[in-house]
Amino acid sequence: MTTPLLSVSGLRASYGPVQVLFDVDFQVAKGSVTTLIGANGAGKTTIMKSLAGLVAPTDGEIRFEGRDITQVPSHDRVNSGLCLIPEGRLVFPGMSVEQNLRLGAIAPAARAGHNQMLAEVFDRFPRLRERRSQLAGLMSGGEQQMLALGRGLMARPHLILMDEPTLGLAPVMVKQVFETIVELRDAGFTILLAEQNAKVALELADRAYLLENGRVALSGPGAELLASPDVRRAYLGM
Amino acid sequence: MDTLLSGQMLFAALVSGSLYALVALGLNLVYGTLRLLNIAHGDLVMIGAYTAFWMISLFAVPPIISLVVAAALCALLGWAVYVGLFRRMLAKPELAKRVEANSLILFYGISVILQNLAALAFTSTSRGYQYLDTVITWQGVSMTGNRLLTLGIAAAICFGTILFLRFHLFGWGLRAVIQRREAAQVVGVNLNRVQLLTICGGFAVAGVAGVLVSMTEQITPFMGFPFTIVAFVVIIIGGLGNIGAGVLAGFCLGLVETYGIALTSPGYRSILIYGLFVGVLLIRPEGIFTKAVRS
Ligand SMILES: Nc1ncnc2c1ncn2[C@@H]1O[C@H](COP(=O)(O)OP(=O)(O)O)[C@@H](O)[C@H]1O
Ligand SMILES: [Mg+2]
Repeated sequence: MTTPLLSVSGLRASYGPVQVLFDVDFQVAKGSVTTLIGANGAGKTTIMKSLAGLVAPTDGEIRFEGRDITQVPSHDRVNSGLCLIPEGRLVFPGMSVEQNLRLGAIAPAARAGHNQMLAEVFDRFPRLRERRSQLAGLMSGGEQQMLALGRGLMARPHLILMDEPTLGLAPVMVKQVFETIVELRDAGFTILLAEQNAKVALELADRAYLLENGRVALSGPGAELLASPDVRRAYLGM
Repeated sequence: MDTLLSGQMLFAALVSGSLYALVALGLNLVYGTLRLLNIAHGDLVMIGAYTAFWMISLFAVPPIISLVVAAALCALLGWAVYVGLFRRMLAKPELAKRVEANSLILFYGISVILQNLAALAFTSTSRGYQYLDTVITWQGVSMTGNRLLTLGIAAAICFGTILFLRFHLFGWGLRAVIQRREAAQVVGVNLNRVQLLTICGGFAVAGVAGVLVSMTEQITPFMGFPFTIVAFVVIIIGGLGNIGAGVLAGFCLGLVETYGIALTSPGYRSILIYGLFVGVLLIRPEGIFTKAVRS
Protein backbone atom coordinates (compact mmCIF):
# COMPACT_ATOMS: atom_id res chain seq x y z
CA MET A 1 0.00 0.00 0.00
CA THR A 2 1.24 3.47 -0.77
CA THR A 3 1.68 5.89 2.12
CA PRO A 4 -1.45 7.92 2.79
CA LEU A 5 -1.56 11.62 1.93
CA LEU A 6 -2.45 12.43 5.52
CA SER A 7 -1.80 10.27 8.51
CA VAL A 8 -2.79 11.14 12.06
CA SER A 9 -1.68 9.07 15.00
CA GLY A 10 -2.24 9.31 18.73
CA LEU A 11 -3.70 12.80 18.44
CA ARG A 12 -4.70 14.41 21.73
CA ALA A 13 -5.95 17.93 22.28
CA SER A 14 -7.31 19.94 25.18
CA TYR A 15 -8.99 23.26 25.81
CA GLY A 16 -7.44 24.36 29.07
CA PRO A 17 -7.82 21.51 31.53
CA VAL A 18 -10.49 19.74 29.46
CA GLN A 19 -9.18 17.04 27.15
CA VAL A 20 -11.38 16.65 24.05
CA LEU A 21 -9.36 14.33 21.78
CA PHE A 22 -8.08 10.96 22.97
CA ASP A 23 -5.53 9.16 20.81
CA VAL A 24 -7.24 9.74 17.51
CA ASP A 25 -5.82 7.76 14.57
CA PHE A 26 -6.88 8.02 10.96
CA GLN A 27 -5.58 8.25 7.42
CA VAL A 28 -6.62 9.94 4.22
CA ALA A 29 -5.64 8.27 0.96
CA LYS A 30 -4.78 10.42 -2.03
CA GLY A 31 -7.73 10.95 -4.34
CA SER A 32 -10.29 9.77 -1.81
CA VAL A 33 -13.14 11.31 0.12
CA THR A 34 -12.76 10.53 3.80
CA THR A 35 -15.41 11.59 6.26
CA LEU A 36 -15.48 12.17 9.97
CA ILE A 37 -18.96 11.79 11.38
CA GLY A 38 -20.13 12.26 14.91
CA ALA A 39 -22.56 14.16 17.05
CA ASN A 40 -22.20 17.80 17.98
CA GLY A 41 -19.28 18.11 20.41
CA ALA A 42 -17.64 14.84 19.35
CA GLY A 43 -14.43 16.63 18.40
CA LYS A 44 -14.62 17.02 14.61
CA THR A 45 -13.80 20.72 14.59
CA THR A 46 -10.97 20.23 17.05
CA ILE A 47 -9.44 17.64 14.71
CA MET A 48 -9.81 19.97 11.74
CA LYS A 49 -8.24 22.85 13.64
CA SER A 50 -5.38 20.65 14.78
CA LEU A 51 -4.76 19.70 11.17
CA ALA A 52 -4.80 23.34 10.09
CA GLY A 53 -2.52 24.42 12.92
CA LEU A 54 -5.13 26.50 14.74
CA VAL A 55 -5.17 24.25 17.79
CA ALA A 56 -1.92 22.88 19.20
CA PRO A 57 -2.23 19.16 19.99
CA THR A 58 -0.92 18.06 23.35
CA ASP A 59 0.32 14.78 21.90
CA GLY A 60 0.41 12.77 18.71
CA GLU A 61 1.69 13.19 15.20
CA ILE A 62 0.30 14.62 11.98
CA ARG A 63 2.08 13.58 8.78
CA PHE A 64 1.19 15.24 5.51
CA GLU A 65 2.79 14.07 2.27
CA GLY A 66 5.28 12.11 4.35
CA ARG A 67 6.36 15.14 6.41
CA ASP A 68 5.76 15.57 10.13
CA ILE A 69 3.84 18.86 10.32
CA THR A 70 2.70 18.66 13.94
CA GLN A 71 4.72 21.77 14.90
CA VAL A 72 4.49 23.62 11.59
CA PRO A 73 2.72 27.03 11.78
CA SER A 74 -0.61 27.38 9.99
CA HIS A 75 0.59 29.54 7.09
CA ASP A 76 3.26 26.98 6.20
CA ARG A 77 0.64 24.25 6.14
CA VAL A 78 -1.46 26.24 3.70
CA ASN A 79 1.63 26.85 1.62
CA SER A 80 2.35 23.13 1.47
CA GLY A 81 -1.16 22.38 0.19
CA LEU A 82 -3.28 21.74 3.25
CA CYS A 83 -6.35 23.91 3.20
CA LEU A 84 -9.22 24.26 5.66
CA ILE A 85 -12.72 25.40 4.74
CA PRO A 86 -13.64 26.29 8.31
CA GLU A 87 -16.87 25.65 10.16
CA GLY A 88 -19.07 28.73 9.94
CA ARG A 89 -17.36 29.63 6.61
CA LEU A 90 -15.40 32.57 8.11
CA VAL A 91 -15.34 34.74 5.01
CA PHE A 92 -13.97 38.27 5.39
CA PRO A 93 -17.23 40.17 5.77
CA GLY A 94 -15.91 43.65 5.00
CA MET A 95 -14.19 42.65 1.77
CA SER A 96 -15.57 41.97 -1.67
CA VAL A 97 -16.07 38.48 -3.05
CA GLU A 98 -13.11 38.94 -5.35
CA GLN A 99 -10.85 40.17 -2.54
CA ASN A 100 -11.84 37.17 -0.44
CA LEU A 101 -10.87 34.89 -3.31
CA ARG A 102 -7.60 36.65 -3.99
CA LEU A 103 -6.74 36.42 -0.30
CA GLY A 104 -7.17 32.68 -0.69
CA ALA A 105 -4.06 32.73 -2.87
CA ILE A 106 -1.91 34.72 -0.44
CA ALA A 107 0.36 31.74 0.25
CA PRO A 108 3.52 32.10 -1.84
CA ALA A 109 2.98 28.73 -3.49
CA ALA A 110 -0.43 29.82 -4.77
CA ARG A 111 0.46 33.32 -5.93
CA ALA A 112 1.84 32.43 -9.33
CA GLY A 113 -1.03 31.93 -11.74
CA HIS A 114 -3.69 33.02 -9.31
CA ASN A 115 -5.54 34.97 -12.01
CA GLN A 116 -6.08 31.76 -13.91
CA MET A 117 -7.20 30.05 -10.71
CA LEU A 118 -9.65 32.88 -10.10
CA ALA A 119 -11.16 32.29 -13.54
CA GLU A 120 -11.47 28.57 -12.76
CA VAL A 121 -13.22 29.29 -9.47
CA PHE A 122 -15.59 31.69 -11.22
CA ASP A 123 -16.36 28.99 -13.81
CA ARG A 124 -17.09 26.51 -11.05
CA PHE A 125 -19.23 28.99 -9.11
CA PRO A 126 -20.83 31.40 -11.62
CA ARG A 127 -22.74 33.01 -8.78
CA LEU A 128 -19.46 34.29 -7.36
CA ARG A 129 -18.57 35.88 -10.69
CA GLU A 130 -21.92 37.70 -10.74
CA ARG A 131 -21.28 39.03 -7.26
CA ARG A 132 -17.56 39.58 -7.48
CA SER A 133 -17.66 43.17 -6.20
CA GLN A 134 -20.27 42.64 -3.51
CA LEU A 135 -19.24 42.64 0.15
CA ALA A 136 -18.98 39.06 1.39
CA GLY A 137 -20.78 39.94 4.62
CA LEU A 138 -23.91 40.84 2.66
CA MET A 139 -24.30 37.43 1.01
CA SER A 140 -26.57 34.57 2.06
CA GLY A 141 -25.24 31.61 4.04
CA GLY A 142 -25.16 29.37 0.98
CA GLU A 143 -23.32 31.97 -1.08
CA GLN A 144 -20.83 32.46 1.73
CA GLN A 145 -20.23 28.71 1.77
CA MET A 146 -19.51 28.78 -1.97
CA LEU A 147 -17.16 31.68 -1.35
CA ALA A 148 -15.37 29.85 1.44
CA LEU A 149 -14.96 26.85 -0.87
CA GLY A 150 -13.73 29.01 -3.72
CA ARG A 151 -11.32 30.79 -1.41
CA GLY A 152 -9.95 27.42 -0.34
CA LEU A 153 -9.50 26.29 -3.95
CA MET A 154 -7.49 29.45 -4.66
CA ALA A 155 -4.74 27.99 -2.46
CA ARG A 156 -4.36 25.07 -4.91
CA PRO A 157 -4.78 22.52 -2.11
CA HIS A 158 -3.52 18.95 -2.24
CA LEU A 159 -5.94 18.16 0.57
CA ILE A 160 -9.17 20.03 1.29
CA LEU A 161 -10.44 19.92 4.84
CA MET A 162 -14.15 20.75 4.99
CA ASP A 163 -15.64 21.30 8.39
CA GLU A 164 -19.43 20.98 8.31
CA PRO A 165 -19.94 22.81 5.02
CA THR A 166 -23.71 22.28 5.17
CA LEU A 167 -24.22 23.62 8.69
CA GLY A 168 -27.17 25.98 8.85
CA LEU A 169 -27.93 25.86 5.13
CA ALA A 170 -31.33 25.47 3.48
CA PRO A 171 -31.96 21.96 2.04
CA VAL A 172 -31.52 23.10 -1.55
CA MET A 173 -28.12 24.57 -0.67
CA VAL A 174 -27.15 21.42 1.24
CA LYS A 175 -27.77 19.43 -1.92
CA GLN A 176 -25.71 21.84 -3.96
CA VAL A 177 -22.79 21.66 -1.52
CA PHE A 178 -22.76 17.86 -1.72
CA GLU A 179 -22.88 18.03 -5.52
CA THR A 180 -19.89 20.33 -5.43
CA ILE A 181 -18.01 17.87 -3.24
CA VAL A 182 -18.67 15.09 -5.76
CA GLU A 183 -17.50 17.34 -8.59
CA LEU A 184 -14.33 18.17 -6.73
CA ARG A 185 -13.66 14.50 -6.04
CA ASP A 186 -14.21 13.65 -9.69
CA ALA A 187 -11.79 16.43 -10.59
CA GLY A 188 -9.15 14.61 -8.55
CA PHE A 189 -9.17 16.53 -5.28
CA THR A 190 -8.58 14.71 -2.01
CA ILE A 191 -11.15 15.66 0.61
CA LEU A 192 -11.53 15.19 4.33
CA LEU A 193 -15.10 16.04 5.27
CA ALA A 194 -16.52 16.48 8.75
CA GLU A 195 -20.30 16.18 8.84
CA GLN A 196 -23.21 15.71 11.18
CA ASN A 197 -25.33 14.87 8.17
CA ALA A 198 -24.23 11.23 8.43
CA LYS A 199 -26.25 9.62 5.68
CA VAL A 200 -25.10 11.70 2.73
CA ALA A 201 -21.58 11.92 4.12
CA LEU A 202 -21.32 8.15 4.39
CA GLU A 203 -22.72 7.61 0.91
CA LEU A 204 -19.96 9.82 -0.43
CA ALA A 205 -17.17 8.38 1.66
CA ASP A 206 -14.50 6.05 0.42
CA ARG A 207 -13.57 5.69 4.03
CA ALA A 208 -15.29 6.95 7.17
CA TYR A 209 -14.52 7.40 10.83
CA LEU A 210 -17.15 7.66 13.52
CA LEU A 211 -16.14 9.88 16.41
CA GLU A 212 -17.62 9.61 19.87
CA ASN A 213 -16.48 11.83 22.73
CA GLY A 214 -13.14 12.52 21.15
CA ARG A 215 -12.37 8.91 20.23
CA VAL A 216 -12.62 6.96 16.99
CA ALA A 217 -15.43 4.53 17.80
CA LEU A 218 -15.73 2.86 14.41
CA SER A 219 -14.03 3.05 11.04
CA GLY A 220 -14.31 1.43 7.65
CA PRO A 221 -15.51 2.01 4.10
CA GLY A 222 -18.45 4.41 3.99
CA ALA A 223 -20.83 1.71 2.79
CA GLU A 224 -19.82 -0.52 5.68
CA LEU A 225 -20.61 2.13 8.30
CA LEU A 226 -23.80 2.91 6.51
CA ALA A 227 -24.83 -0.72 6.95
CA SER A 228 -23.76 -0.97 10.57
CA PRO A 229 -26.72 -1.42 12.93
CA ASP A 230 -25.11 0.83 15.57
CA VAL A 231 -24.61 3.68 13.14
CA ARG A 232 -28.10 3.24 11.69
CA ARG A 233 -29.67 3.40 15.13
CA ALA A 234 -27.63 6.25 16.62
CA TYR A 235 -26.96 8.49 13.63
CA LEU A 236 -29.44 7.69 10.91
CA GLY A 237 -32.52 7.27 13.09
CA MET A 238 -33.41 3.87 11.69
CA MET B 1 -17.61 85.04 11.75
CA ASP B 2 -14.78 86.26 9.54
CA THR B 3 -12.20 84.28 11.48
CA LEU B 4 -14.39 81.20 11.29
CA LEU B 5 -14.41 81.24 7.51
CA SER B 6 -10.75 82.13 7.21
CA GLY B 7 -8.19 79.83 5.69
CA GLN B 8 -6.20 80.43 8.84
CA MET B 9 -8.74 78.56 10.91
CA LEU B 10 -9.02 75.73 8.44
CA PHE B 11 -5.25 75.35 8.37
CA ALA B 12 -5.10 75.14 12.17
CA ALA B 13 -7.87 72.52 12.16
CA LEU B 14 -6.14 70.45 9.50
CA VAL B 15 -2.81 70.53 11.34
CA SER B 16 -4.24 69.28 14.60
CA GLY B 17 -6.55 66.88 12.75
CA SER B 18 -3.65 65.33 10.88
CA LEU B 19 -1.75 64.84 14.13
CA TYR B 20 -4.75 63.22 15.80
CA ALA B 21 -5.21 60.97 12.81
CA LEU B 22 -1.54 59.99 12.91
CA VAL B 23 -1.47 59.24 16.64
CA ALA B 24 -4.70 57.26 16.40
CA LEU B 25 -3.47 55.35 13.34
CA GLY B 26 -0.80 53.50 15.32
CA LEU B 27 -3.14 52.73 18.18
CA ASN B 28 -5.79 51.46 15.81
CA LEU B 29 -3.39 49.22 13.88
CA VAL B 30 -2.08 47.67 17.07
CA TYR B 31 -5.56 47.19 18.47
CA GLY B 32 -6.88 45.80 15.20
CA THR B 33 -4.23 43.17 14.63
CA LEU B 34 -3.16 42.30 18.18
CA ARG B 35 -6.28 43.24 20.15
CA LEU B 36 -4.04 45.06 22.58
CA LEU B 37 -5.37 48.27 24.08
CA ASN B 38 -2.16 50.21 24.34
CA ILE B 39 -2.81 52.85 26.95
CA ALA B 40 0.91 53.70 26.78
CA HIS B 41 0.53 54.80 23.17
CA GLY B 42 0.76 58.51 24.03
CA ASP B 43 3.99 57.88 25.90
CA LEU B 44 5.55 56.82 22.62
CA VAL B 45 4.67 60.30 21.39
CA MET B 46 6.54 61.63 24.41
CA ILE B 47 9.56 59.45 23.59
CA GLY B 48 9.53 60.73 20.02
CA ALA B 49 9.35 64.31 21.26
CA TYR B 50 12.32 63.91 23.62
CA THR B 51 14.27 62.17 20.87
CA ALA B 52 13.84 65.20 18.66
CA PHE B 53 14.66 67.58 21.51
CA TRP B 54 17.89 65.88 22.53
CA MET B 55 18.98 65.28 18.97
CA ILE B 56 18.73 68.96 18.15
CA SER B 57 20.04 70.21 21.52
CA LEU B 58 23.01 67.90 21.85
CA PHE B 59 23.95 67.08 18.27
CA ALA B 60 22.25 69.84 16.29
CA VAL B 61 20.44 67.16 14.31
CA PRO B 62 17.28 68.65 12.76
CA PRO B 63 13.88 67.06 13.49
CA ILE B 64 13.49 66.01 9.89
CA ILE B 65 16.28 63.50 10.53
CA SER B 66 15.11 62.74 14.08
CA LEU B 67 11.90 61.47 12.50
CA VAL B 68 13.81 58.44 11.31
CA VAL B 69 15.64 58.02 14.60
CA ALA B 70 12.44 58.24 16.67
CA ALA B 71 10.66 55.84 14.33
CA ALA B 72 13.48 53.33 14.67
CA LEU B 73 13.62 53.73 18.44
CA CYS B 74 9.88 53.20 18.87
CA ALA B 75 9.85 50.33 16.40
CA LEU B 76 12.55 48.71 18.53
CA LEU B 77 10.35 49.18 21.58
CA GLY B 78 7.49 47.54 19.69
CA TRP B 79 9.73 44.63 18.83
CA ALA B 80 10.78 44.30 22.49
CA VAL B 81 7.18 44.35 23.71
CA TYR B 82 6.14 41.80 21.12
CA VAL B 83 8.99 39.36 21.52
CA GLY B 84 9.44 39.86 25.23
CA LEU B 85 5.84 39.92 26.34
CA PHE B 86 3.33 38.78 23.81
CA ARG B 87 4.63 36.34 21.25
CA ARG B 88 4.49 33.27 23.42
CA MET B 89 1.22 34.24 25.01
CA LEU B 90 -0.49 35.16 21.74
CA ALA B 91 0.50 31.82 20.27
CA LYS B 92 -1.72 30.03 22.82
CA PRO B 93 -5.40 30.93 22.47
CA GLU B 94 -6.20 30.33 26.14
CA LEU B 95 -3.45 32.70 27.21
CA ALA B 96 -4.20 35.17 24.44
CA LYS B 97 -7.65 35.76 25.86
CA ARG B 98 -6.18 36.73 29.20
CA VAL B 99 -3.55 38.96 27.64
CA GLU B 100 -6.22 40.84 25.72
CA ALA B 101 -8.27 41.40 28.83
CA ASN B 102 -5.22 42.43 30.79
CA SER B 103 -3.52 44.55 28.14
CA LEU B 104 -5.14 47.73 29.39
CA ILE B 105 -3.77 47.28 32.89
CA LEU B 106 -0.43 45.99 31.65
CA PHE B 107 0.09 48.96 29.36
CA TYR B 108 -1.07 51.29 32.09
CA GLY B 109 1.83 49.95 34.13
CA ILE B 110 4.21 50.39 31.21
CA SER B 111 2.89 53.94 30.78
CA VAL B 112 3.55 54.87 34.40
CA ILE B 113 7.03 53.38 34.21
CA LEU B 114 7.87 55.25 31.00
CA GLN B 115 6.62 58.56 32.39
CA ASN B 116 8.56 58.19 35.60
CA LEU B 117 11.71 57.06 33.84
CA ALA B 118 11.46 60.12 31.63
CA ALA B 119 10.90 62.34 34.68
CA LEU B 120 13.94 60.83 36.42
CA ALA B 121 16.16 61.10 33.39
CA PHE B 122 15.06 64.45 32.02
CA THR B 123 13.33 66.09 35.06
CA SER B 124 9.80 67.37 34.66
CA THR B 125 10.97 70.78 33.36
CA SER B 126 9.19 71.45 30.13
CA ARG B 127 11.46 71.67 27.13
CA GLY B 128 11.21 73.17 23.71
CA TYR B 129 13.25 74.27 20.74
CA GLN B 130 12.83 76.35 17.66
CA TYR B 131 12.73 74.86 14.21
CA LEU B 132 11.28 76.18 10.97
CA ASP B 133 9.20 78.78 12.79
CA THR B 134 9.39 81.43 10.13
CA VAL B 135 5.99 82.41 8.83
CA ILE B 136 5.07 81.70 5.26
CA THR B 137 2.07 83.55 3.86
CA TRP B 138 0.11 82.05 1.02
CA GLN B 139 -3.28 83.29 -0.20
CA GLY B 140 -3.59 85.37 2.95
CA VAL B 141 -3.02 82.37 5.21
CA SER B 142 -0.01 82.62 7.51
CA MET B 143 1.60 79.30 8.23
CA THR B 144 4.76 78.42 10.10
CA GLY B 145 7.08 76.02 8.34
CA ASN B 146 6.94 73.50 11.16
CA ARG B 147 3.14 73.33 11.03
CA LEU B 148 3.20 72.88 7.28
CA LEU B 149 5.73 70.10 7.73
CA THR B 150 3.54 68.50 10.39
CA LEU B 151 0.51 68.53 8.13
CA GLY B 152 2.48 67.25 5.16
CA ILE B 153 4.17 64.36 6.92
CA ALA B 154 1.21 63.30 9.04
CA ALA B 155 -1.16 63.35 6.08
CA ALA B 156 1.33 61.52 3.87
CA ILE B 157 1.79 58.72 6.40
CA CYS B 158 -1.95 58.38 7.02
CA PHE B 159 -2.92 58.27 3.37
CA GLY B 160 0.11 56.20 2.46
CA THR B 161 -0.99 53.61 5.00
CA ILE B 162 -4.52 53.60 3.64
CA LEU B 163 -3.23 53.06 0.10
CA PHE B 164 -0.92 50.31 1.31
CA LEU B 165 -3.80 48.52 3.02
CA ARG B 166 -5.91 48.86 -0.10
CA PHE B 167 -3.46 47.84 -2.77
CA HIS B 168 -0.59 45.83 -1.33
CA LEU B 169 -0.92 42.11 -0.70
CA PHE B 170 0.64 42.44 2.74
CA GLY B 171 -1.90 45.19 3.45
CA TRP B 172 -4.69 42.80 2.50
CA GLY B 173 -3.26 40.22 4.85
CA LEU B 174 -3.20 42.82 7.60
CA ARG B 175 -6.83 43.73 6.97
CA ALA B 176 -7.70 40.05 6.96
CA VAL B 177 -6.13 39.71 10.40
CA ILE B 178 -8.10 42.72 11.63
CA GLN B 179 -11.40 41.39 10.30
CA ARG B 180 -11.02 37.73 11.27
CA ARG B 181 -7.80 36.56 12.77
CA GLU B 182 -8.60 32.87 12.50
CA ALA B 183 -9.78 33.15 8.91
CA ALA B 184 -6.58 34.99 8.05
CA GLN B 185 -4.61 32.04 9.40
CA VAL B 186 -6.83 29.69 7.43
CA VAL B 187 -5.94 31.36 4.13
CA GLY B 188 -2.26 31.30 5.00
CA VAL B 189 -1.48 34.76 6.34
CA ASN B 190 1.67 34.66 8.46
CA LEU B 191 0.06 35.95 11.64
CA ASN B 192 3.30 36.27 13.55
CA ARG B 193 4.89 38.43 10.90
CA VAL B 194 1.82 40.62 10.42
CA GLN B 195 1.55 41.23 14.15
CA LEU B 196 5.24 41.94 14.62
CA LEU B 197 5.42 44.37 11.71
CA THR B 198 2.20 46.05 12.83
CA ILE B 199 3.33 46.64 16.39
CA CYS B 200 6.70 47.96 15.15
CA GLY B 201 4.97 50.14 12.56
CA GLY B 202 2.27 51.33 14.97
CA PHE B 203 4.85 52.29 17.59
CA ALA B 204 7.08 53.94 14.98
CA VAL B 205 4.24 56.12 13.76
CA ALA B 206 3.60 57.31 17.32
CA GLY B 207 7.29 58.21 17.61
CA VAL B 208 7.07 60.18 14.36
CA ALA B 209 4.02 62.01 15.71
CA GLY B 210 6.07 62.90 18.79
CA VAL B 211 8.79 64.50 16.69
CA LEU B 212 6.17 66.54 14.83
CA VAL B 213 4.50 67.64 18.06
CA SER B 214 7.83 68.66 19.59
CA MET B 215 8.36 71.26 16.87
CA THR B 216 5.43 73.33 18.10
CA GLU B 217 4.62 72.26 21.65
CA GLN B 218 6.26 71.98 25.05
CA ILE B 219 7.86 68.63 25.88
CA THR B 220 7.31 67.07 29.31
CA PRO B 221 7.38 63.51 30.65
CA PHE B 222 3.61 63.64 31.03
CA MET B 223 2.67 65.08 27.65
CA GLY B 224 1.66 61.66 26.33
CA PHE B 225 -1.53 60.98 28.22
CA PRO B 226 -3.71 63.56 26.44
CA PHE B 227 -2.61 62.00 23.14
CA THR B 228 -3.64 58.57 24.38
CA ILE B 229 -7.07 59.96 25.21
CA VAL B 230 -7.42 61.74 21.89
CA ALA B 231 -6.35 58.59 20.04
CA PHE B 232 -8.94 56.51 21.87
CA VAL B 233 -11.63 59.09 21.12
CA VAL B 234 -10.67 59.07 17.46
CA ILE B 235 -10.75 55.30 17.05
CA ILE B 236 -14.02 55.02 18.94
CA ILE B 237 -15.52 57.58 16.57
CA GLY B 238 -14.09 55.83 13.53
CA GLY B 239 -14.73 52.30 14.76
CA LEU B 240 -12.14 50.11 16.48
CA GLY B 241 -9.87 48.42 13.97
CA ASN B 242 -11.28 50.44 11.08
CA ILE B 243 -8.14 52.13 9.78
CA GLY B 244 -9.46 54.42 7.03
CA ALA B 245 -12.38 55.59 9.14
CA GLY B 246 -9.98 56.30 11.99
CA VAL B 247 -7.99 58.68 9.80
CA LEU B 248 -11.17 60.45 8.74
CA ALA B 249 -12.26 60.66 12.36
CA GLY B 250 -8.91 62.17 13.34
CA PHE B 251 -9.38 65.01 10.89
CA CYS B 252 -12.99 65.43 12.03
CA LEU B 253 -11.90 65.73 15.64
CA GLY B 254 -9.38 68.41 14.65
CA LEU B 255 -12.15 70.34 12.90
CA VAL B 256 -14.63 69.97 15.76
CA GLU B 257 -12.04 70.98 18.30
CA THR B 258 -10.70 74.01 16.44
CA TYR B 259 -14.07 75.37 15.37
CA GLY B 260 -15.70 74.41 18.65
CA ILE B 261 -13.14 76.36 20.63
CA ALA B 262 -13.44 79.31 18.26
CA LEU B 263 -17.19 79.37 18.81
CA THR B 264 -16.94 78.96 22.58
CA SER B 265 -13.65 79.29 24.47
CA PRO B 266 -10.55 77.17 25.09
CA GLY B 267 -12.05 76.10 28.42
CA TYR B 268 -14.48 73.96 26.47
CA ARG B 269 -11.80 71.86 24.78
CA SER B 270 -12.10 68.84 27.05
CA ILE B 271 -15.86 69.08 27.18
CA LEU B 272 -16.00 69.04 23.37
CA ILE B 273 -13.70 66.05 23.00
CA TYR B 274 -15.18 63.96 25.79
CA GLY B 275 -18.69 65.03 24.83
CA LEU B 276 -18.15 63.74 21.31
CA PHE B 277 -16.70 60.53 22.73
CA VAL B 278 -19.62 59.87 25.07
CA GLY B 279 -22.12 60.92 22.42
CA VAL B 280 -20.73 58.50 19.85
CA LEU B 281 -20.58 55.67 22.38
CA LEU B 282 -24.20 56.22 23.28
CA ILE B 283 -25.60 56.73 19.82
CA ARG B 284 -23.38 54.60 17.58
CA PRO B 285 -20.99 52.43 19.61
CA GLU B 286 -19.69 50.65 16.50
CA GLY B 287 -18.32 53.96 15.18
CA ILE B 288 -19.77 56.65 12.95
CA PHE B 289 -18.17 55.54 9.70
CA THR B 290 -18.55 51.80 10.09
CA LYS B 291 -20.62 49.99 7.50
CA ALA B 292 -22.96 47.36 8.82
CA VAL B 293 -22.11 43.92 7.46
CA ARG B 294 -23.22 40.48 8.46
CA SER B 295 -20.39 38.31 9.74
N1 LIG C 1 -12.83 26.98 22.25
C1 LIG C 1 -13.24 26.00 23.07
N2 LIG C 1 -13.04 26.10 24.39
C2 LIG C 1 -13.41 25.10 25.22
N3 LIG C 1 -14.01 23.97 24.84
C3 LIG C 1 -14.24 23.82 23.53
C4 LIG C 1 -13.87 24.81 22.58
N4 LIG C 1 -14.23 24.39 21.34
C5 LIG C 1 -14.79 23.18 21.54
N5 LIG C 1 -14.81 22.83 22.83
C6 LIG C 1 -15.32 21.57 23.38
O1 LIG C 1 -14.61 20.51 22.79
C7 LIG C 1 -15.46 19.45 22.46
C8 LIG C 1 -15.33 19.13 21.00
O2 LIG C 1 -15.85 20.21 20.25
P1 LIG C 1 -15.75 20.31 18.68
O3 LIG C 1 -14.41 19.90 18.25
O4 LIG C 1 -16.21 21.66 18.29
O5 LIG C 1 -16.82 19.21 18.23
P2 LIG C 1 -17.67 19.07 16.91
O6 LIG C 1 -17.02 19.88 15.85
O7 LIG C 1 -17.65 17.62 16.62
O8 LIG C 1 -19.04 19.56 17.20
C9 LIG C 1 -16.85 19.86 22.90
O9 LIG C 1 -17.11 19.29 24.16
C10 LIG C 1 -16.77 21.34 23.01
O10 LIG C 1 -17.62 21.82 24.00
MG1 LIG D 1 -17.81 21.34 14.68
